[in-house]
Amino acid sequence: MAFLDRTARSFLLGELISGMSLTLKYFFRQKATINYPYEKGPISPRFKGEHALRRYPNGEERCIACKLCEAVCPALAITIEAEPRDDGSRRTTRYDIDMTKCIYCGLCEESCPVDAIVEGPNFEFAVETREELLYNKERLLSNGDRWESELSKRLELDAPYR
Amino acid sequence: MSVFIATPFGTLLLTVAQTLAMLVPVLMSVAYLTLAERKVLAAMQARKGPNVVGPFGLWQPFADALKMLTKETIIPTGANRILFMIAPLLTMTLAMIAWAVIPVNDGWAVADINVGVLYLFAISSLGVYGIVVAGWASNSKYAFLGALRSAAQMVSYEVSMGFVIVTVLLCAGSLNLTQIVRAQEHVWFFIPLFPMFIVFFISILAETNRAPFDLAEGESEIVGGFHVEYGAMTFGLFFLGEYANMILMSAMTSILFLGGWLSPIPFPPFTWVPGPIWFILKVCLVLFMFFWVRATFPRFRYDQLMRLGWKVFLPLSLGWLVLTAGVLLAMGWLPGTPPV
Amino acid sequence: MAKLTVDGTEVEVPNGASVLQACEAAGVEIPRFCYHERLSVAGNCRMCLVEVEKAPKPVASCAYPVADGMVVKTDTAVVRQARRGVMEFLLINHPLDCPICDQGGECDLQDQAYSYGMDHSRFAENKRAVKDKYLGPLVKTFMTRCIHCTRCIRFSSEVAGVAEMGATSRGENMEVGTYIEKALTTELSGNLIDICPVGALLNKPYSFTARPWELRKTDSVDVHDALGSNIRVDARGSEVLRILPRTNEDVNEEWLGDKSRFSHDGLKRRRLDKPWVRQDGKLRPASWPEAFGAIAAKLKDLPGERIGAVAGDLCDAESMVALKDLMASLGSQNLDCRQDGAALEGGRRDFYTFNTTVAGIEDADAILLVGSNPRREAPVLNARIRKRLNQGGCPVAYVGQPADLTYAARHLGDGVAAMEDAAEVLRGAKRPMVIVGQGALRRPDGAAVLAAAWALAASVGALTPEWHGFNVLHTAAARVGALDLGFLPGPGGKALPAMLGGGVDLLWLLGADEFDTAAIGADTFVVYQGHHGDRGAARADVILPGAAYTEKGGTYVNTEGRVQRGYVSVQPPGEAREDWAILRAFSAVLGKPLPYDSIQDVRDRLAAVNPVFKTLQDLPHRGCTDQAGPSGDPAGVGREPLQPAVPNYYQTNAINRASATMAECTRTYAAPVLQAAE
Repeated sequence: MAFLDRTARSFLLGELISGMSLTLKYFFRQKATINYPYEKGPISPRFKGEHALRRYPNGEERCIACKLCEAVCPALAITIEAEPRDDGSRRTTRYDIDMTKCIYCGLCEESCPVDAIVEGPNFEFAVETREELLYNKERLLSNGDRWESELSKRLELDAPYR
Repeated sequence: MSVFIATPFGTLLLTVAQTLAMLVPVLMSVAYLTLAERKVLAAMQARKGPNVVGPFGLWQPFADALKMLTKETIIPTGANRILFMIAPLLTMTLAMIAWAVIPVNDGWAVADINVGVLYLFAISSLGVYGIVVAGWASNSKYAFLGALRSAAQMVSYEVSMGFVIVTVLLCAGSLNLTQIVRAQEHVWFFIPLFPMFIVFFISILAETNRAPFDLAEGESEIVGGFHVEYGAMTFGLFFLGEYANMILMSAMTSILFLGGWLSPIPFPPFTWVPGPIWFILKVCLVLFMFFWVRATFPRFRYDQLMRLGWKVFLPLSLGWLVLTAGVLLAMGWLPGTPPV
Repeated sequence: MAKLTVDGTEVEVPNGASVLQACEAAGVEIPRFCYHERLSVAGNCRMCLVEVEKAPKPVASCAYPVADGMVVKTDTAVVRQARRGVMEFLLINHPLDCPICDQGGECDLQDQAYSYGMDHSRFAENKRAVKDKYLGPLVKTFMTRCIHCTRCIRFSSEVAGVAEMGATSRGENMEVGTYIEKALTTELSGNLIDICPVGALLNKPYSFTARPWELRKTDSVDVHDALGSNIRVDARGSEVLRILPRTNEDVNEEWLGDKSRFSHDGLKRRRLDKPWVRQDGKLRPASWPEAFGAIAAKLKDLPGERIGAVAGDLCDAESMVALKDLMASLGSQNLDCRQDGAALEGGRRDFYTFNTTVAGIEDADAILLVGSNPRREAPVLNARIRKRLNQGGCPVAYVGQPADLTYAARHLGDGVAAMEDAAEVLRGAKRPMVIVGQGALRRPDGAAVLAAAWALAASVGALTPEWHGFNVLHTAAARVGALDLGFLPGPGGKALPAMLGGGVDLLWLLGADEFDTAAIGADTFVVYQGHHGDRGAARADVILPGAAYTEKGGTYVNTEGRVQRGYVSVQPPGEAREDWAILRAFSAVLGKPLPYDSIQDVRDRLAAVNPVFKTLQDLPHRGCTDQAGPSGDPAGVGREPLQPAVPNYYQTNAINRASATMAECTRTYAAPVLQAAE
């Protein structure tokens, strides 16, 4: 009986039909795609995108050259050089992130004691040459200036879970 | 007018005009077929598909064509240069010349010959050479594997496909495609020959190297198979050839089984709709089936493919051939000798 | 000896040892801040609390003497609780600024808070803040971080011998500092940075530049004085960022002089990084083949006696033996290593080494310094003398210009004749020491002074088979090595003064900058091989860029005659190469290649020249079995007063003359008049 059943099913193409009916069903379903460059999906406040160096509201850069991010970076993408600034405070003279090495793990952000280096919400930073992905301090600070309102909002949203 | 046409030059001109009238729409539809395929596949995968280039992505085929035309043609160092260039041309040419015998409407064929079916069958069988030559000339192991697979696959499926066509011929009593369509005036052949229709459809999937029988390409195992070394417009020609072949096979299916240009509902107002419209709709339906199948089934394994061809389709089609012939003979339904 | 039990382990320690020392003997780590094994016990941080059976409460192990049968427990709930409590108290006023603190990563407080502390503090009030103090150009302060362990106070008064640091006020108002704002007048101020367990005293030139984990650490030997202090060179990339002492009980214990520690910034200034050739009176950059070609052209047809070579004060033994062999192949006997004209002779080692050994100072019971100011010439050695003095029963007297040696020393007079008065100081001592400095030897009558000092030592019983009390204190790191190699005029060869003023036609200076280059004859072709563009390079006709001591694996012999070796920390800049390799390459240009192709071959050659180079570090105990003195005549001693060999501690060689930090120190210490005039 089982043999007959199996044979009948295979000759009547039961599996093929059920498979094709499934795809046909999806054919008429609502599409999941969003119209990307014009519409964007929501991203979490913890989204790890392009890096930025933040400033205090008075314009002072936050980074104090503690080099924890450099030490923790598993991809060795961060290079920092520091020396005392004219006012005697500890500051970086160089803060480079090689975005081609970066694996966007977010450990730099986690390790930062002053919330200076953060990974922002921006993931659209494609460039035409490799060199443009070697970010320097100036570039990172300007990222911070550009994204500050979003960055501080994200930190605020994420704060209760830390 | 007819006097002019009777002159050799006029005949030539007419033939050229007819050929163009056939080929230009075919090439245009190839272009939009690529878009259609992407759209249908996307829809079945809950995506939207190309929608950026032009309204609904309608300019996408031209963007693709432009891209392929502007890219550099690379001929690998170890390749046989002449054969390497001939292979895509061969594929493309064969896909095109088959269209000579396809009747879009009653009598609307460039060459309404009496051995149309044989011609089609012969031309589509030749198609494998394009692939085999490409695979060999590339001097690449992936291409070579792809070519081997394709050759074996085509041979396996053409046998049962031949039997299916013979069944249809038995019912139609003619090798002329127009005659075959006319023989379906009362009932389309896919109804009495339904199992054969299925076998034929699956066989043309294999014949055109389409999923789930795209072992010759097998991008996930042999990285593109026979066309792995091709790029730019040489690849484009293979691409055009493959899609032209798909349309051709869909046309053949609608002629052999779906009543060609005939209206599905044989009374007005449906009969007022011109034949070519019905024909095109049927072709579209079969093409949709192509995509649908592609979106649904994973690729066959090579040994499964062989088993299906030789151990299922061959006995099945042979048996159905004998049955059909027996039934036709016993019931005296054999069609008369077709008019010469 | 007292037997006691520490965490179940029986240990035996000498009577009078502390419980902490007993714990260390048992292999148990006791956290501590104020306790330092080379300083007196203060017992004020309370971090070393342990439980002693029958004691009513935890005791401070650093200040608690052992007793026989004592049972010590270091890992009980009480001890852990006590440590947590102490840690919490210490952190009450310590700022949480580890990210900007240079001590971060190598901080005792950080490590011990992590290991023994609590995870939070119950102190919610305001922390105190303390104004930073000025301690000179080398030590940066951040007094808010101070935990009042008083190690710095004890170091400066006990080891450095300058009682300038102290604590004012008490309780929470206590502040450590100099009572009046002034730079610490010690050559050992850098050690304050090392002994400070927190980030209160920091390395000023190094501040904020690097983190300890970024640095590549290489063992090396210091060349800024002749003591051969063991150092660790910390570098990042191609730059030496700081130099730290390495513990060697026989040489520098764990101290290091400021010059040795801070002059590394001179290693990146005024460097010779490509060969130069003088053309039409002006030096122009050249390639190695060009430079070699210019020398080879000059050497052509030049007889051996018209060629001379001088080895400088910073040379490694490898390069000196290579130069010596090169000169031999050219037929020259004109070699000299005594740029200052010191009357030292090769041959018997007793006549030019510090025979008592540095560690041997602690066994001496009377010390006479002749023409030497060890505070300037070798401050770490001076600290060793001071350490001996602190133990008592060891009078020190000196002959020379009056100086502050940081300890009570009797000034006998400034002329060599005053040596005679010394006999009464030394006589009666069982193990007297005579230390002869370069100030006494570089006089015209130097040979006589050397012989007189030897005679004095012999007469007071300093030269016995058990005790060798005759010592020469050098100022140049290369000097003893050069003397060991016989880098001295050969038979019929000319010494440096004879080579000057046209005595030779080609003069090869191997890093020699410490003599008057103006005295070189105008027609003499000068080849300068070295690492800094200093006096020698300015006079040179061809400059061959060599490697500084951090850039080559070099063998150095310190003033005791101890053979020590440093390793390569960074690569020489630009086209500069290791010096022995330059000489080897040049010998190939001449077609007389030196018989060695690797540094190991050169070292084998060193050992062949003098067997002392076979053993590193190890120094056999030396007694004096041969009373015969050096060749000079003790009667020839002149009447002129002795002059100091090192007028300015901070600038004695090409490296520290190029150092900005040393220039700053010179402004602060050696020429304070200028500061006062401002």
